[in-house]
Amino acid sequence: MKKLAIGLLFALPIALLGWACSLIFFAPSEPPIDWMRRMSVADHDALVAHLDHLYLVAAYAVTWAIQLGYLAWLGLRSDITRNSAS
Amino acid sequence: MKKLAISLYAAVTVALLIWGFYQAIYVAPADDRLGGQGELYRIIFYHVPSAMIAFLFFAISLAGSIGYLSFRRSRDAWAQISDAWALAGAEVGVVFCTVVLITGPLWGRRAWGIWWTWDARLTTTLVLWLIYVSYLLLRRFAAGPQVQTLAAVLGIFGALDVPIVYMSNRWWRMQHPAPVFGGDADSGFKDPRMLHAFAWNILAWLAWGLLILVVRYYVERQSQKAAAQEVQDVLNA
Repeated sequence: MKKLAIGLLFALPIALLGWACSLIFFAPSEPPIDWMRRMSVADHDALVAHLDHLYLVAAYAVTWAIQLGYLAWLGLRSDITRNSAS
Repeated sequence: MKKLAISLYAAVTVALLIWGFYQAIYVAPADDRLGGQGELYRIIFYHVPSAMIAFLFFAISLAGSIGYLSFRRSRDAWAQISDAWALAGAEVGVVFCTVVLITGPLWGRRAWGIWWTWDARLTTTLVLWLIYVSYLLLRRFAAGPQVQTLAAVLGIFGALDVPIVYMSNRWWRMQHPAPVFGGDADSGFKDPRMLHAFAWNILAWLAWGLLILVVRYYVERQSQKAAAQEVQDVLNA
């Protein structure tokens, strides 16, 4: 049961990290410098808002990935130390 | 009783983190001023508290390192306790500093159009992170009776970078924005709901940080006791 919990704690940060990377790598291209000739102001603002949203979600996901990953590592380390002591 | 208290504290911490997330995403308004950052500025609710907590834990590591150097010849038990706090503070500090160094470039990419620049704040933070990573590598891979002493000295020198990081965007105005608090007249939150969300997130991340700090401390104490027992067994054999 404990091993399953630690396993899940390792899987969750990896999944979060993968999700964050996919958000960034597959994000749409930034509007070009001469966007005014190619798209309307509304389209431009919608694209910028969408990109901002993707980066915000990625930042939150990475934060949780790091914190939960460390917690999982700590759980594993605690388990190993306890086993070697007993 | 002890387990119940820890479980209760962990439950309160999780509740605080959920509440902090709710405040950051749903309560704090978007930065819709002219030239504002819209939704993007919400990264501040994770980025800045992480930096503040990293500084706090590096200060704990500094205190532990000084404690170890003070007690190592006179009171071994106190020296070991100090050393465990020094290691726990450095390690959890590195975790929070890593969050800062990853969320910062994500924010910078959208706000400035670049992932990284050799700005004073960014560079000093990277140097701080590298010093404490080297501290952890020293603890992990070096062997011999002087490791704890060397690590304590490195921990003290590493902590000297913290005030430089803190003051860097006051001393050298470059790419990084002015400080949120104590900066120029234009700094600070423009809406009280933003300030509330920020305060809740500091509290939540501080509670989380203290929880993992204490867990890390106990793991290190267990490890120290196991090592001492091993030495005793060898001597008795």
